[in-house]
Amino acid sequence: MNIIEVENLTKIYKGPKANGEIKALDNFSLSVSKGEIFGLLGANGAGKTTLIKILLGIVHPTFGSAKIFGKDITDFSVRSKIGFLPESHKFPTYLTAEEVLYYFAELSGVEKNVIKQRAAKYLSLVRIEKWKKTKVKQFSKGMMQRLGLAQAMMNDPELIFLDEPTDGIDPLGRKEIRDILSELKEDGKTIFLNSHLLSEVEMISTTVGIMKTGKLLQYGKVEDLTTDKEVYIIETATPVNTGLLPSSFDNISIKVESPVKIIVNVKDSLELNFVIDHFRKNGVIIKNVSQKKETLEELFLSLVANTEGGEE
Amino acid sequence: MKNVFIMALLTFREALSKKIFLVFFLISTFVIILFALFTFSGSAVNFHASFTVRGNLNTDNPIVGGIKLFLIYPLYAGGMFLSIFSVVGFIPSLLEKGNIDLLLSKPISRGQIIWGKFLGGTAMVFANVFYAVFMLYLLIGFKFDEWGLSFILVAFTITLAFAAIYSVIILLGILWENSTFSLIVSYLIFFVFSPLLGSLQNMQEANLKNVVLTLLYYIVPQTSDISSITTKLVLGNYNFGIAPLVVSSLYIIILINISIYIFNKKDY
Repeated sequence: MNIIEVENLTKIYKGPKANGEIKALDNFSLSVSKGEIFGLLGANGAGKTTLIKILLGIVHPTFGSAKIFGKDITDFSVRSKIGFLPESHKFPTYLTAEEVLYYFAELSGVEKNVIKQRAAKYLSLVRIEKWKKTKVKQFSKGMMQRLGLAQAMMNDPELIFLDEPTDGIDPLGRKEIRDILSELKEDGKTIFLNSHLLSEVEMISTTVGIMKTGKLLQYGKVEDLTTDKEVYIIETATPVNTGLLPSSFDNISIKVESPVKIIVNVKDSLELNFVIDHFRKNGVIIKNVSQKKETLEELFLSLVANTEGGEE
Repeated sequence: MKNVFIMALLTFREALSKKIFLVFFLISTFVIILFALFTFSGSAVNFHASFTVRGNLNTDNPIVGGIKLFLIYPLYAGGMFLSIFSVVGFIPSLLEKGNIDLLLSKPISRGQIIWGKFLGGTAMVFANVFYAVFMLYLLIGFKFDEWGLSFILVAFTITLAFAAIYSVIILLGILWENSTFSLIVSYLIFFVFSPLLGSLQNMQEANLKNVVLTLLYYIVPQTSDISSITTKLVLGNYNFGIAPLVVSSLYIIILINISIYIFNKKDY
């Protein structure tokens, strides 16, 4: 079941001059299923924040449509099931951490009798319960981020949008946030994550989308995107004599990385077995065969690096 | 409606957090204490005798009428000055990046946000004005045995005048998100344009009607007309037309709805 459905979404920001238009989203389509942690990647200005803002009714689309929980995004009642942590959020500085949670929970339609216990639970979860009576103007960036995350969970949302959630948080804190997100996923929540921290997205996301200048370049399961199906690594127990390498395998490229590690690029399993048989016939002891994996960062860089992005 | 109430409550809190409303409250309290000391001390006879009011009064004692006016005028002008100064930043701060995103992501309509802001700010001003007016009403009542309720109604007319200006502040805030600009325009309207246009409009009635002036008169909030009604209420005179009150109320509704329309169209 798709929680988010985006169809041909286009957003054009009008600049000060007649020709100063900026296309932040360009015929963008996407769907996110229930229970996923979806990571949206893109360089600055790729349109990630614009997409989230359109989905939440903060920005109006120029063309196209989007639905959340099957309802059009213009129906603001749907937001009672959504939590949101914006990038660089600001809370009313005259409120304490606890009051911030009370206020936003009330706005999200949470019943008064559950607000108190939920506030205590989430303040404890994000480890700022000691500062619950402190005015947020005294909070550091990391504490604000933790409070923001607690705020996003106060209405027990089915879908949570997080825009750079670990921004300003130390590595230990990041780990804690990743753990919280994993717990939320286990509870069946759907998480839409915007981040430029690729390793982090790779660690926690089940599905990712890679954006460039308002377009979706790649979309799929992290495992599928980072696995190069046609490239295998053959590790051997004995060094491979380069003289053993076949001179003419049609369409099969073989590269020796080290005396005990060979990389082969094959069309299918049959070809792979053909190569393995060849080595074994020549007395090479095979220790391990695995598919070559790219990191998300390598994939991202190969798709996006050295290109210009539009304004977000 | 619940969302409007929550927004209004937060705006009320925001107003409380601003020291300027506290200043307003302290000044009111100071005036009340000062007046109480004068009224109930022996020197009060001379103090009271220095006030006389000419004109058509419904109040039994013209001296009391003079005292009331002496107290209400500074409260009205000073209160408006401080109140405008205090609320002028409400909309620009609401629309700050990071704040408005969070608010709009909640199940609350943009119209509810604006009405909440309007009602919260107005409620704060009403609370302050009502406190001052009611305390003065009690002091005057106990001293002179004058309990005419028209004096209490002054709290409502002053609040209405403020609300009219506040609706302009909200519209300007939505359009330009600039507190300084809104502040200058609001002060100009309240202290210059409205009294000037009110006077010109009255003069015109005797002479030729000028379309431009008439149009301006209706575009600018009619706070000077509300001031005149306030004066009459202070003096216990109910002989006034309610047109300015009705027009101002409609004016507020129209301006707030225009603000909501523009707010609905904007991206943040």
